[in-house]
Amino acid sequence: MSLAITAKDLTRRFGAFTAVDRVTFDVEEGEIFGYLGANGAGKSTTIRMLIGLLAPTGGSGTVAGHDVATDPEAVKASIGYMSQKFSLYLDLPVMENLVFFGSAYGLQGETLKARAEELLHRVGLAGQEDMTTGDLPGGLRQRLALASALLHRPRVVFLDEPTAGVDPVARRAFWDLIRELAAGGTTVFVTTHYLDEAEYCRRIGLMVDGKLVALDTPAGLKRTWVPERVVVARGRNLGEAAAALRAAPGVKAVAPFGAALHVRVERSGLDAAGVREVLARAGGRDVTAEEAAPSLEDVFLAVVGAGAQGEAA
Amino acid sequence: MSLDEIQDTGAQRLRRSLIRIGAMAAKETIHVRRDPRTLALALAMPVALLFLFGYGVSTDLDHLPLSVADQDGSDVSRELTRTLGASGEIDVVSRTAAENAENLFRKNHAVGAVVIPSGLAADVAAGKRTKVQLLVDGSDPVVANQVISKVDAILRAASPRLAGLDVVRLEPPLSVKVWTLYNPEGRSALFMVPGLTALLLAITAVMLTALAIAGEWERGSMEQLFATPVGRFEIILGKLLPYLVLGFLALLLVLAFGMVAFDLPVRGRLWVVFLLGFVFLAGMLGQGLLISVVTKNQLVATQAGALSALLPSVILSGMIFPIDNMPLLLQLLSRLIPARYLVHGLRGVLLKGNGLDVLWPDLLAMCIFTAFILAIATARFQRRLA
Amino acid sequence: MSDTAPALVASGMVRSFGAVKALAGLSFRVERGELYGLVGADGAGKTTAMRALTGLVPLDAGEAQVLGMAPGSPRVRERIGLMPQQYSLYRDLTVSENLLFFGRLAALPRPLFRERRERLLAITRLARFEDRRADQLSGGMYKKLALACALLHEPEVLLLDEPTNGVDPVSRRELWELLHGFVESGMAVVISTPYMDEAERCTRVGLVHQGRLLLEGRPEALLAASGRSTFEDLFVHAIAEAA
Repeated sequence: MSLAITAKDLTRRFGAFTAVDRVTFDVEEGEIFGYLGANGAGKSTTIRMLIGLLAPTGGSGTVAGHDVATDPEAVKASIGYMSQKFSLYLDLPVMENLVFFGSAYGLQGETLKARAEELLHRVGLAGQEDMTTGDLPGGLRQRLALASALLHRPRVVFLDEPTAGVDPVARRAFWDLIRELAAGGTTVFVTTHYLDEAEYCRRIGLMVDGKLVALDTPAGLKRTWVPERVVVARGRNLGEAAAALRAAPGVKAVAPFGAALHVRVERSGLDAAGVREVLARAGGRDVTAEEAAPSLEDVFLAVVGAGAQGEAA
Repeated sequence: MSLDEIQDTGAQRLRRSLIRIGAMAAKETIHVRRDPRTLALALAMPVALLFLFGYGVSTDLDHLPLSVADQDGSDVSRELTRTLGASGEIDVVSRTAAENAENLFRKNHAVGAVVIPSGLAADVAAGKRTKVQLLVDGSDPVVANQVISKVDAILRAASPRLAGLDVVRLEPPLSVKVWTLYNPEGRSALFMVPGLTALLLAITAVMLTALAIAGEWERGSMEQLFATPVGRFEIILGKLLPYLVLGFLALLLVLAFGMVAFDLPVRGRLWVVFLLGFVFLAGMLGQGLLISVVTKNQLVATQAGALSALLPSVILSGMIFPIDNMPLLLQLLSRLIPARYLVHGLRGVLLKGNGLDVLWPDLLAMCIFTAFILAIATARFQRRLA
Repeated sequence: MSDTAPALVASGMVRSFGAVKALAGLSFRVERGELYGLVGADGAGKTTAMRALTGLVPLDAGEAQVLGMAPGSPRVRERIGLMPQQYSLYRDLTVSENLLFFGRLAALPRPLFRERRERLLAITRLARFEDRRADQLSGGMYKKLALACALLHEPEVLLLDEPTNGVDPVSRRELWELLHGFVESGMAVVISTPYMDEAERCTRVGLVHQGRLLLEGRPEALLAASGRSTFEDLFVHAIAEAA
């Protein structure tokens, strides 16, 4: 399999500040690759370098075979990009937006129209051609934005937080689309703060303070970064009780997950029952605790949370 | 101590209001300082435009190219030709046949042709009245008028001498002496600069503030502002203040430039100039704010601002076209335009040395406009999104 | 103004924008010391509801009362704080300058302002970035600054429109910790959020769908009643059933 994206010691400095520090990774064709990190860790800067918007100050990268530093225009022509804020024109009808973006990529006439219709159908917007874009709910708008990035059949697609602010139903539907895309051979490079979505990625890179500190499959990341036991505790009055738990032996971290608490504890330390006891004694009511498999959000908190004493710059 | 416990007297409320206005003004000042383009617009543009208008667009014409068709070929006619050229305002560019004049005009080689008829010298010697013909390219009336008046003036002045008359002057029973006060050389710069000042300040002021409120709407910060205790008038006033300072600086620059580069005289009191300029600025800034409030869109605001400032200031202010020559409707319309009052006022102070005793109506008119426009801007400022 | 009166009451709020009915009879109430979550799909009416509560959007029918007064009235504005969905702070101003601006809008006396400012900078951990311009802050830091600016005048009611959008999991939790602290001290907080796990952390939750509340109640109670294990599941099925 050939490599759709390569990055070797990719670096970007802004004056004295290093936003991206010697990042190295590869993405294979047809892969769904997730790129995660705290706000300000350098994800967006990395993406901008890969799509040819920003020149690297060090290192090199290629996308779809083109060098991002020397041939950014070729890169732009071979990729699709869905930016965080989607750049759709809210006052234009749906079809007009597609026609506009398509023509920006050199499509025209009948080919353009046909392709636009095809994509509208594929993303589930058939029949909405004349709807004003601004009147579409967010979930549908994001699908339109995806469609507009796919008109020219790019081999690589960059999606920057495509599901931000969208409800779970729409998010699931959106990821069905992404998986279809990848199955068809398109490489998908996606960033997200929804860690449950990240489970769909084949591999994930995690950035902290400009460095790529983790790069592995979801399963691999969980093995490496959360080797401890994860206990999920529910109940009432857990807020104050959590403090007592943090002080308990072997407890690495206690983090809220909705109304529940995820407790990372050494395998040699407390087990689920032990956790329940500590919480109950510290004032928790109706406490239940059971061991669970680590999730990617546990991984994220373990990797990034530890360093959160100082903010990512 | 919560805010509830503070006695909410009128004085307390006023104090809080002033603090809020100050906060808006301070914030707007920071925005301006950090946006070099606004500063450039406010300060550099008026000066640049003044330069352009002042030097480039002078309606004084020196060196009018004229051709002479000397059909007499006598000493007198040659002396006449020489006199024309020696005036410094006319260049004799060719001597040619009269029939060629139109050709010269079409090719823009000359704007006028003097035809000296044959027999001139003979007539002069015989003491007979004689005429010299002047053909003028009328396609540009400004130039044509200049040509006619200059040639006429030169010939009148020269004709006694040419006729060989000595000091004997034929005095008509009634002589009219024309004294041109205030602008004896008829320098267009003196005429133009006060008008230009008004125009430049108007454009600058309106465009500066046109962005101020529309920008907040577009950026989304207006929603946040409306959730705070700040009132609409406080927002408007707070935004007005820094631009007032900026506009005033622009006024100073324009005046300084006018004085240095165009010898603009300041025959009256400077503080009257400043007062007039200040009130005018406030009104123009208010106009910009009103546009900003109503359009909520920076692009539209800028264009509407530029147009609404430019057209009335140029056409109806008396800057170029005399108001008294306009049809009645336009004359009445011009009374609504602050620029008219500023132009009149500036000319009054700078060129005639007038004070407020004469110019108070202009000041009053501008004050009324300013108050009115700020009131409308506040009223139209909706605390609502829809 | 008794302390037992609800902090916020919305009854039968109706609002249309052209053909789109954003609010179709939305009603709920929030007491002091409660963290009320408005959960729903994009376009369900959450933002419109928030804007009706601040007076930015007038209602076609129905009523909203904040602290017993009409939304948007000057007295109410002194006692509420807002964090709108849009990026509403001034980007070319620094953290300090933004705080100073909002502090002066509230006409806070100087020593009081300084004291609160220090405290807010400390708990949001933004003290190090005092002189950084707002547009150079990361998303999470920016939101914390927006929260700090909304809290300077210690409002009794705090309205937050999707404050954690685009914020990473670590910063999200920090924001929530801050919120819990304020709620505990008696503030009434209304928060709209697309994150279902955040819905679980609210005192009470209202599920908004097409301008109306589908469900309302304490998250544990709603979960128990529906038999679902996560709020996300509950949401997905409730919406599906309503459609």
